[in-house]
Amino acid sequence: MTQISQIIILGLSLGGVFALMSSGMTLIFGVMRIVNLAHAAFIVMAAYIAYWAFKLLGMDPILSIVITIPVMYLFGLLVYRVLFAKLIDNPRFVELTVLITFGLSLVIEGLLSYFFTGIYRSTTPRYATDTLNFGPFYFPEGQFYATVVSIILLVGLWALLRYTRLGYAIRATTQNRTAAKTVGVNVHQISMITFGLGTALAGASGSLVSFLFTFFPAKHMEWVTIILALIVLGGMGSLIGSLVGSFLLSALAAYVSFNFGPTWSPITFYLALFLILLFRPQGLFGKKMELQ
Amino acid sequence: MSDQIISISPVSAEPVSPDTKKSRGRIIFLAILFLSLLLFPLTQAIFGGMNYWLHLMLYTFMYISMASSWNILGGYTGYVSLGHNVFFAAGAYLAGILLVYQGISPFLITPVAGLLALAIGLIVGLITLRTSGSAFIISTVALILLASIVMDKWELAGGANGLSLPLMGLKMATAKIPFYYAFLILAALTIFMSYRIRHSKFGLGLRAISQDETKAEVAGVPTHIYKVLAFAISGIFVGMAGALWVYYLTYLRPGLFLSIGIATHMVLMTLIGGKGTVAGPVIGAAIFIATNEFFVAQLGSSELNIVATGIMMILVLMFFPDGVIGTLKNRNRLPRFLDWE
Repeated sequence: MTQISQIIILGLSLGGVFALMSSGMTLIFGVMRIVNLAHAAFIVMAAYIAYWAFKLLGMDPILSIVITIPVMYLFGLLVYRVLFAKLIDNPRFVELTVLITFGLSLVIEGLLSYFFTGIYRSTTPRYATDTLNFGPFYFPEGQFYATVVSIILLVGLWALLRYTRLGYAIRATTQNRTAAKTVGVNVHQISMITFGLGTALAGASGSLVSFLFTFFPAKHMEWVTIILALIVLGGMGSLIGSLVGSFLLSALAAYVSFNFGPTWSPITFYLALFLILLFRPQGLFGKKMELQ
Repeated sequence: MSDQIISISPVSAEPVSPDTKKSRGRIIFLAILFLSLLLFPLTQAIFGGMNYWLHLMLYTFMYISMASSWNILGGYTGYVSLGHNVFFAAGAYLAGILLVYQGISPFLITPVAGLLALAIGLIVGLITLRTSGSAFIISTVALILLASIVMDKWELAGGANGLSLPLMGLKMATAKIPFYYAFLILAALTIFMSYRIRHSKFGLGLRAISQDETKAEVAGVPTHIYKVLAFAISGIFVGMAGALWVYYLTYLRPGLFLSIGIATHMVLMTLIGGKGTVAGPVIGAAIFIATNEFFVAQLGSSELNIVATGIMMILVLMFFPDGVIGTLKNRNRLPRFLDWE
């Protein structure tokens, strides 16, 4: 019993980070119907920023979110302006964005491997390998901090969406783009800001995963599928859904990893993604036919 | 092959042009092209030193075949698959394992690899084609990652390290020639199939699906069956190409066959040439491989090559969605010898 609880604790302690990783993609999909396959490439990019901040400036990876968040926000605005601003009224927009963001992820992957090679990297702050003990259970210290930071950021995001004028506008655009436009929301501007917010969240996750996992430029393929599994389970576009999906799947993956070995744990996500797409494509919380 | 294309009366979905003069020039062009391709290896046999060109040509034939094959699903039906090299890997694993453990030549296995791909396509298609649009694309990405984990663990096939295949035992000078012909035949076969499907009732149904699936369903097209069939058929030639390619590489490893880059190439070639046309994937593959060679020669790094692929993909999608053939056709500038419809 203790063992199972311990496994679940380990899973849950990663859940917060997965939730942060997927929140940006969910937000972007919700507002713009962009399936951003480059989201994980953004995370890897931010992880490299955190890595070099750690190596060159000795900056703590958790602290480096003060760099990655604004840098990635601006990068997101740029990407939106260049790639999506003109396409948004195209009838095949959703499908186009899948392929365009896939192309973008290849560009980022290629550039990162050109400049930083394919070497496996991770930041190594003191807490990355330590553990915290609570009675009979233990927490890997790094995962604990990362999850706490993730939850703080997610609560911040929730507050932003719930209580600010910007948040009202974003939620209005998510619910009904045309109606939002009618009542005076500048949907283009809101889309751009949301895309920036989404990539900023990718930036923050990059800082956090830089000490949780080893990464290399091609790692984004694996992560993007994991993120897709999380948000498809929760229902594309639903933030609460992606949060629940993250905790559920990461606990499940921890269980699989404990019983069958760590190399099998990614298969939990892929298989889950596959099964959810087949049997409940709208996810646990999504509306039906959301992802057509 | 070129004669066949014209002489077999297609189950035409469009009115056949009575203008025979127009098609005669096309017959002559295609006949000359095919003949010169048939004779090209003689230059190697006689003069030697053409191995690089033979390699480049057979590589192009392989991608012509795979892109044309992908086009049946991605172009005609409008269902974009980023996981099509699952078929490629299936063919390669079948041929590679049979060669290593039974000593059967992959040339003999190639048709069987096509059948295996068809079977896999039917099974996987029945499942994944319950989804559509971006959900389908995502499911194909998941499929490829799923397959690579399984292959990484498969001991018989050497797991992640892979298997070395025995060589065919030909001299360096002639070693590429059998592959050249095999891929040439495969490419011709695929183009022929693609043409026949384009002009059949089945192909018309597929194009109806790509236009508007609901309306197609209402009009009596059995959309689900058609989509699954299109998925499976478009896997056949990719599977056959895999069986030949593994023998050519003499190495079987998950990373070589299940890299998403291969699927990306199929997509990109079809987009460049013009999706949904017969000639598009052919032209697209030729253009893509030529520019790719140029980039590798100029930039000399595979990392920048990935960047170039990505940039090309974005640019084509944003500014050139109809591809070479589609754009020329829209402007009524399509030269006759490229009008294979």
